[in-house]
Amino acid sequence: MKLALAAVLGAVVVSGAAAQSVADRATVYAAASLTDAFPTIAPNARFSFGGSNALAAQIRQGAPVDVFASANMKIPFGLYGDNFCSRPAVFTRNALVLIVPRKNRAHIRSVFDLRRKGIKLVVADKGVPVGDYTLQVLQKLKLTGVLRNVVSRETDVREVLAKVALDEGDAGFVYATDAKTVPKKVRVITIPPRGRPTIEYGICVVLASHNKPAAQAFVRRILGPAGQRILRRYGFLPRRP
Amino acid sequence: MKRRLPAALAVAAAAVALAFLVLPIAAIFLRVPPGELLHQLTTPVVTDALIVSAKTSAIAQVLIVLFGTPLAYLLASRRFRGHGLLVTLVELPLVLPPAVAGLGLLALFGRAGLLGTSIPFTQTAVVLAVAFVASPLYIRTAIAAFEAVDPNLVAASRTLGAGPVRTFFRVVLPLARGGLAAGEALAFARGLGEFGATIMFAGSLQGVTQTLPLAIYEAFAIDFDTALALGALLVVVSALLLVVLKLVLSWQPSRRTSSFLFARSS
Repeated sequence: MKLALAAVLGAVVVSGAAAQSVADRATVYAAASLTDAFPTIAPNARFSFGGSNALAAQIRQGAPVDVFASANMKIPFGLYGDNFCSRPAVFTRNALVLIVPRKNRAHIRSVFDLRRKGIKLVVADKGVPVGDYTLQVLQKLKLTGVLRNVVSRETDVREVLAKVALDEGDAGFVYATDAKTVPKKVRVITIPPRGRPTIEYGICVVLASHNKPAAQAFVRRILGPAGQRILRRYGFLPRRP
Repeated sequence: MKRRLPAALAVAAAAVALAFLVLPIAAIFLRVPPGELLHQLTTPVVTDALIVSAKTSAIAQVLIVLFGTPLAYLLASRRFRGHGLLVTLVELPLVLPPAVAGLGLLALFGRAGLLGTSIPFTQTAVVLAVAFVASPLYIRTAIAAFEAVDPNLVAASRTLGAGPVRTFFRVVLPLARGGLAAGEALAFARGLGEFGATIMFAGSLQGVTQTLPLAIYEAFAIDFDTALALGALLVVVSALLLVVLKLVLSWQPSRRTSSFLFARSS
């Protein structure tokens, strides 16, 4: 009995280890917001994090990566349509929030305070997923006028986070998961429900991949219970609402 | 036969090196048809970036010459304890990764930095970033140029009754100006290409802080053709700069002081 149990456990461990090693051979291009979560899910895979649009541009130039994980569905669907990657699947969701430095010297308490003159607002560029979500929020809340307070357009969400966490920007729009990484440096201001955009993350296997088994194993890991559990731990939302 | 082989190998290696340096630049122009290139150059993103780059570069270079020349002259004409250390400190920004320069500027001029200024995200920030990374190129070339001035000529000028200021402007400066121009051109070129420190310290905003290199980086992720057009523009500007520099050098009587910087084209 003990022996059988040990054998079963051993088989589980071995198969787990095997799955681990295959997925860990993948080279992954992933949205900057996944910087902390993905390496926890596959510690030995190779990652390049950045703005999803910049990563997609590199894939279009033939970057030999295995997996692409984007902070929206539009970019991976674009790659899919142009035969650069497999049909993308939603693997997680996120929420957009407004952050201000802990000090909050501009005394911002809601998104509507962004209308005040002289506020240094940091946003991501258009084309960068978080930049597009930011624009959606402002449009839904009829706040596009606050764009005149923008002092910098960054290339990915972590750059926005850094500028606000450094207390150089007065406010910025980032994902809830990014805000959680520096709780001592930024305060989170939620966006009114009617302004919240739907934020779905898409993952696909890059067709130029030299290692499809690793790519598929990695995608399975992300979609599987262990991957989903870790994503939830970092504050990401379940795949389906 | 035996003799020819090394020569052939050298020619082959030279051809590879030449192709490697020329082809990537040629490819920029070949990827986009000239008409499309010209059309792209009239888009607001490109014209704004050109204006921001021209303006910030011009201001930064004036500051570099105004403050760098006295520093270079003092370092060239005086010897004192810690002289070597000082020269090394001046040269340090040259070898620093630009990202480190950006961090340093934020740590000093940032709102939460030592001086606590509101400079970040302004055009002033771009000027400071450019001046910080580019000035060492000017200063160290200027030191070499001043050091190459024959001290006997300076002594003669003083003996003949000219004061130190008059001697500097009438003797030292004319003799060193070839080297100074070379250093300034190098600093200008380096400043024009500045990316890392600017994006960290000044951010990137079209028409305000978005210089040509920043616009290229942004365009790459959105529209490759615009990126190529911007790249072509920078190639042309840089090439013009290089030609002007070579002309300046070949006209100067004191080119000996700086001709090691570039091979002469003639």
